[in-house]
Amino acid sequence: MKRSLISAAMIAAGLLFAAPLLLMAIASFKSEAEVLKPTQLLPTEWKLDNYQAVLENSIEAPVLTWFVNSVFVSSATTLLVIAVSSLAAFSFSRLRPSGSGPVLNLVVGAMMVPGQLFLIPVYVLLSRFALIDTPWALILPAAAGGFGVFMLTQFMRSMPVAIEEAALIDGCSLMQMFWRVTLPLSSPAVATLAIFTFIGSWNDYITPMVYMESVRNYTLPVGIALFQSSYSTQYGLTIATSLLSTLPLLILFLIFQKQIIESMTASGLKD
Amino acid sequence: MTLRAGAFNVHTLLAIFAGLALAAGAARSQLVGSAIGGEKTRLSFWNGFTGPDGIVMLDIIEDFNRANPDIEVTMQRIPWATYYNKLTVAGADQRGPQVFVVHSDALARIRRAGFIADIRDIFDRGDVPAGDFRPSVLKEVSFGEARLGVPLDIHPQGMFVNREMLSAAGLKGPNGEPRAPRDKEEFLQAMSAMTQEAGGELPEKQWGFALTFWGNNLRSLIPQFGGRYLDEEGRAVLDSEENIAALEFLASLAKESRVPPPDNGLGWFGFRTARVGMVWEGIYMLGDLIRVQDVDYIGAPIPQIGPKPGTLANSHLLCVREGLSEKERRAAEAFIAFLSQESLRWAAAGQVPARTSVQQSAEFKGLQVQSAFAEQLDTMMYQPRTPIIFELGLELDRAAERAIRGLAEPREALQEAHRNIEAVLERDRREHPEEQQ
Amino acid sequence: MSWALRRKLVGWACMAPYLAFFLVFIVVPIIVSAWLALVQLDLANVGASRFVGLQNFQDAFADQFFWMAAGATLQYVVLFVPSVIVVGMVLGLGMHAMRRGREAVRALVYLPSMLNVAAAGILWQWFFNNEFGLFNSLLKRAGLPAVPWLTEAALAMPSICLMSLWWTVGGTAVLVLAGLQQIPRMYFEAAALDGATSTGVFRLITLPLLKPVLLFIFVTTTIASFQMFGQAMILTGGGPAFATRGMVQFMYETAFNGFRFGYGASISWLLFAGILAFSLIQARVLRSQMEA
Repeated sequence: MKRSLISAAMIAAGLLFAAPLLLMAIASFKSEAEVLKPTQLLPTEWKLDNYQAVLENSIEAPVLTWFVNSVFVSSATTLLVIAVSSLAAFSFSRLRPSGSGPVLNLVVGAMMVPGQLFLIPVYVLLSRFALIDTPWALILPAAAGGFGVFMLTQFMRSMPVAIEEAALIDGCSLMQMFWRVTLPLSSPAVATLAIFTFIGSWNDYITPMVYMESVRNYTLPVGIALFQSSYSTQYGLTIATSLLSTLPLLILFLIFQKQIIESMTASGLKD
Repeated sequence: MTLRAGAFNVHTLLAIFAGLALAAGAARSQLVGSAIGGEKTRLSFWNGFTGPDGIVMLDIIEDFNRANPDIEVTMQRIPWATYYNKLTVAGADQRGPQVFVVHSDALARIRRAGFIADIRDIFDRGDVPAGDFRPSVLKEVSFGEARLGVPLDIHPQGMFVNREMLSAAGLKGPNGEPRAPRDKEEFLQAMSAMTQEAGGELPEKQWGFALTFWGNNLRSLIPQFGGRYLDEEGRAVLDSEENIAALEFLASLAKESRVPPPDNGLGWFGFRTARVGMVWEGIYMLGDLIRVQDVDYIGAPIPQIGPKPGTLANSHLLCVREGLSEKERRAAEAFIAFLSQESLRWAAAGQVPARTSVQQSAEFKGLQVQSAFAEQLDTMMYQPRTPIIFELGLELDRAAERAIRGLAEPREALQEAHRNIEAVLERDRREHPEEQQ
Repeated sequence: MSWALRRKLVGWACMAPYLAFFLVFIVVPIIVSAWLALVQLDLANVGASRFVGLQNFQDAFADQFFWMAAGATLQYVVLFVPSVIVVGMVLGLGMHAMRRGREAVRALVYLPSMLNVAAAGILWQWFFNNEFGLFNSLLKRAGLPAVPWLTEAALAMPSICLMSLWWTVGGTAVLVLAGLQQIPRMYFEAAALDGATSTGVFRLITLPLLKPVLLFIFVTTTIASFQMFGQAMILTGGGPAFATRGMVQFMYETAFNGFRFGYGASISWLLFAGILAFSLIQARVLRSQMEA
């Protein structure tokens, strides 16, 4: 009895959390005048005008370009992070060359330094390498994060070595062993890292804001923030744009919500 | 707490991300497209025209590129909020744009970075006739004999008035048409006449006047009271009686509830939705207003509140980077001359052109809002040329906000701003001993 | 080549790509940042750069904007961290008590975390709008006066916290739930057999066993809250009257809009010191509580 009461309350709470997104979706189909009347739940006429206006206004707000930039940056970041982190974790957990212990400690210790400290010096470096205002300014620094190395090292350490040893006895080289055995066996942790990295990169706001210059190189979050600042008074438009920017992740979430939540839990992600 | 093994193949996962990155990379090069090759001289032109004004500018650039097949100008828009940091860093790194826009009040600050070229020859050769600018406007680009840019436009603050609501004010022009208030008395009277409580046809309260960007509202009044920011020796004079009088007027409007309460947030938005009858804003807001269909408006000078007329002015200056090749430099100057000539089109986006010949053209006079704002050209005042302009702006905005919100008396707010600016000036002297003669 | 040597070489070779990134984007920046904090580096006048020792830190302590930013950050931390933990706990416990539908509720609660800060901010700006926002429209309908959510200095930060809570508490709730699910069932069953009350179970079993997870949430949320940036940028831009301009925004604006990179770097070190001090105190207090 009490349990069903709790269940009902929790379902209500869950709906309350999702409600703003629903309102957002509905509002994006309203006319500008009706957006300003939020107590009227449904539009009298469902209109695609806002979406049409956003997509047609590619000079002021090149949403498609921002979307492509976001896909490029997030995918390339994910790929690079997985590549360098898994190789390093393979070394830290399996090959363990002498001296690697203190190095791992250093890497993990550096994770304690809050991200804001890097904003200025990394900017100075990127500007020296002429990478400011290129997607690489968002991709390359991300590969230095210690989280992936730490998590994959932990995971690989917890794996039994028997299969890998058998592979070596069968004549595999070390690198073949990594590619054919260790990496596939680590796939749960790799997937976790991939989800974590992709979402983090997709939603990143401060880095592109600081490292990107031209509007055409923006990713979606800074793009829609710009859009909001120049169309601050047209809520229908800005809401449609922000919804477009979140749609890919929302769709992914609907399909893979279990995996995504479990990955985020595993990584203990906080915004 | 990780995913189950065997649910998928890690190689497939990597292939998916690689595929996505490649596809997006290919699409990117199509969309963003870095134009390479050819014999063209390529110019990058930076500005902060991220709104409808940017579309007009792109249009002009397209025409320039068509008329000059050997030059290709590409425009890069960066929101003003971050523009100067991006421009300065890029310029200091020698990778900045060949041509760029600097606001006249920011020039003294950006000049310090040392990448703005002297383009006096563009005037000397007569490509852009110096005589076609007001001395007060030309002065903004002049440092000694050097000319650090070409003024493209002048954007004074002025008054936007809702024509329909204006009729309630009862002010009549020569032909009996409603006209905007011109002095303090008319202004206050119109403000009250246009303010109406909700009820009947009116679902919400309508306001005669609303403050918008408080700092600029204050800057628009300071010249009317004869106020200044810095004196001839560069000392701060923010707490002068003149400045205090200007701020007191604004604060009194809020205190006497003649304008929407400060927390209400009805400013420009209120005007745009026909719930506020008059606002003081920059002429550049016209671009936003053009997007609104159901508001009928006119432009007018800021009413004379103080002892004399006046308003705040600013200009977009077209500048060239130091260290260009001879070819680039020539192309850049040709481009600037073209923009200057085409400034009537630019004016349509919500600007007063800097060239007096264009201001006097019949076409310009046909632009009601622009030409009404242009009536203030004789009395407008630029902000001072000082390297601490950003700090000064911050302090002035804050003083205005505190006084209008009633958190401090206008005198007290300006005195505090004054003290802070003195400290900033002191720090600037300490940090830049090379500039002290 | 001997096996051991090959293994060693391959080992370092595998580490090399990551270490290169680590060196360039972690180690070098920390050194550069430390150096920057001690110099006067005006990007708009690089020629005038020089070593100034601790002058930047002195400037910060004398700068009222610094103290305003520190106050705003502290206000956010103090408001946000306890609320996110309490709400996260309640949601986590609630979900744990559900027999069916737990995964659906978990997904719904977590959904907002998928939004980027700009989208979430734009959405809430619309809710908070004084004139036609959802909240004030509802208040108006209920015959209550409108609330200036974002435009009054005293209310703006709590409003930002409200949005942040909606946006991120799902992650906390999910962590709490995961922590609860790791507590062996038999503990609860044994307590039920002993006739323990539900408050007794919570106090004697749930809370102590959940403490490691809570400690983790506490520390990570605090560190993240000290660096709050996007929410204020989108919702208020740091206003009104700088009431919501936190340390990161202050650092960003000083360095990038004011061109004072050296001063900006010194602010980021001061923030780091603040975070470190806070985390150490927190960890010590919590640990002593756990041992008690």
